[in-house]
Amino acid sequence: MKILNSWRSFWVRFLFAAQMAWQGVAINPLRAGLTILGVAIGVASVVSLMGIGEGARIAVVRQFESLGSNVIVIKAHDAKAEFEPEEAEELLERVSGLKYASPVVRTNAVLRWRRARGQVEVLGVSSDFPELRDHKLASGRFFTKWHVEQRSPVAVVGYNIGAGLLGGRSPVGHTFTLNGQTYRIVGVLERKGSGQAEGIDDKVVVPYTTALKIAGRRTVDELWVKAESPKAAELAIAQLGRIYRRKLGLDVTAPKAGGGGQQMPGEEGKANPEGTSPPIPRPPAQEGQGQGEKPALELGKDIITITNLNTLVEEADKANRIMTLLLGGIAAVSLLVGGLGIMNIMLVAVTERTGEIGVRRALGAKKFDLLLQFLMEAFYLSGIGAALGTLLGMWGVNVFNNYGFSAVVSMDAVKVAVFVALGCGLLFGVYPAWTAASVPPVEALRR
Amino acid sequence: MGEGETLELLELRGISKEYKTGRSAVKALSEIDLTVKRGEFVSIMGPSGSGKSTLLNVIGCLDRPTAGEYSLDGMKVERLSDDRLSEIRNKYIGFVFQSFHLLQGLDALGNVELPLIYRGMGAAERRKRAKEALEAVGLLDRVHHRPSELSGGEQQRVAIARALAQEPLLILADEPTGSLDSRTGRTIMELFQKLNAERGITVVMVTHDGEMARYGKRIVRLLDGRIEREEIL
Ligand SMILES: Nc1ncnc2c1ncn2[C@@H]1O[C@H](COP(=O)(O)OP(=O)(O)OP(=O)(O)O)[C@@H](O)[C@H]1O
Ligand SMILES: [Mg+2]
Repeated sequence: MKILNSWRSFWVRFLFAAQMAWQGVAINPLRAGLTILGVAIGVASVVSLMGIGEGARIAVVRQFESLGSNVIVIKAHDAKAEFEPEEAEELLERVSGLKYASPVVRTNAVLRWRRARGQVEVLGVSSDFPELRDHKLASGRFFTKWHVEQRSPVAVVGYNIGAGLLGGRSPVGHTFTLNGQTYRIVGVLERKGSGQAEGIDDKVVVPYTTALKIAGRRTVDELWVKAESPKAAELAIAQLGRIYRRKLGLDVTAPKAGGGGQQMPGEEGKANPEGTSPPIPRPPAQEGQGQGEKPALELGKDIITITNLNTLVEEADKANRIMTLLLGGIAAVSLLVGGLGIMNIMLVAVTERTGEIGVRRALGAKKFDLLLQFLMEAFYLSGIGAALGTLLGMWGVNVFNNYGFSAVVSMDAVKVAVFVALGCGLLFGVYPAWTAASVPPVEALRR
Repeated sequence: MGEGETLELLELRGISKEYKTGRSAVKALSEIDLTVKRGEFVSIMGPSGSGKSTLLNVIGCLDRPTAGEYSLDGMKVERLSDDRLSEIRNKYIGFVFQSFHLLQGLDALGNVELPLIYRGMGAAERRKRAKEALEAVGLLDRVHHRPSELSGGEQQRVAIARALAQEPLLILADEPTGSLDSRTGRTIMELFQKLNAERGITVVMVTHDGEMARYGKRIVRLLDGRIEREEIL
């Protein structure tokens, strides 16, 4: 009963402190409003700037992920180092842990559909493509190994092309021509989104054998392989490195490239410190290379790059996270300024209301009552500021998006901002509240 | 009075209060001995600066003396914590000040409820008590007026109602009529007299005004922080 009573008594005093604190805010709306605005701007800048950072991070990660998981890209940057298309298949046997492989042919062709014609990008791959790239079909089926061997004129079209041909109806079973040769459409790929997976939505995918014919080539400059797991991908990278160093006639033990990817330099091993090559680095002297008077393998230049896309994702992710934090940190400064605004206004309030504090103390308010009252006042200011700032930040994210950013409202950013704002409110409220609570009653009454 | 075992409500023994300002020290009170019995009405008089307010603040547990012993209703005040002093002010002591000291943000009722809130009393009960107190000072028709909407005399009556609602043992008044004209002052004094006579509330009042002082039963005269003399009326 006694405990119940003291609990009730506490509740009465708590509610009253809350009510008095609200009066303290409401009595000077302009002043409170400006203080709240200070906090709101701080929170809004944290939310929106971190939103930009987070948006960029997600976009980059999604872009990499649209290329498929555990995929290793082997790329030749010199005509002399190009691959036989059959090498892809051989790698599956020679390197453990690999599940799918495909040579890659990129070329252009003129597509003719009924009366219309236009230039399209053509991608030549093996029948492993859907599994390799984690890419499902919207309708129809992918071409088979048999189609590849037979150099069949069959095509799987990207989502946008598929949707465009028959105004939304599936074009599977219909035919179009590429460079004059008739192709049967056997499938339509699922939508990946603009800019995703190298713009696959606007491409035509055909067997690589067929694509080589279109391009008029025999070798390919790119191979894709997919490992069973991230771990397998890492092991495969090392094996692939050894295979291609040997193939290029380099000392197998020379380059000490680790982890993510490896380069096969002309003569001496020049492993890049992160162990990952840039996605598709083109040597600048590429155009001049077919001339013949240059040496086959140029000194100090990457001839073959082997890149683990997983590592790229991780690194892009990390870099963008750091950027997000940096942006958040910069914005947090304005949040701090907002917090100082609260402290400032609370100190003024305590000074102004010293007489009132004295009256309360004379009538039986304890230090705790006043501490509670002024803390809650600071809490209201920061709380309203945080709520308003979150809305403002969301609106800011929207505005940024209208200007071409891909910002997102990240719940983490909101949580951090609100938490920091409330923390600031309490932190910067404690000192003024403590000042208020500590004024000796006589001193306070004299004012 | 519930816990009234001793006849003496207030007992001050050798109470001194010294203010240090810079290098010099001002002795506002020196070695005051004063006893006030339950149900007394004491007026404190003396020239400005003689230490009247300081004495009242010590009695009201708003200030601690630098030396001496003070017991209120048998409790040794100097040993009590700040929180405990708050409770004592809240339970036993009603204050009435020259400048009323009402909270501007609350109406008359809210002001009267204030000490009851710090006691943790529930809303219904404190409203009832506050209304009774306002009725006792004849302000039932001003319940929802803010202090700024009341005359000086009315404000002082709200302050008295606030003290009354506490059901205190003791009312301490520091120049309660100082801001009022003499006629309004007299009605306030009559109110004190009535509360003292009918409810047995002990009253200790500081005043400059000889006429007001005579509402009490005893006058204590201070000079330079000492009790100069006492008169029983
Ligand atoms: N906070 C303080 N610091 C320094 N000196 C003080 C302080 N408060 C009071 N005094 C001094 O103590 C003495 C007594 O002051 P007090 O307020 O008790 O006088 P009083 O009798 O109430 O005067 P009045 O009739 O003018 O109200 C005065 O000399 C005053 O200057
Ligand atoms: Mg005085």
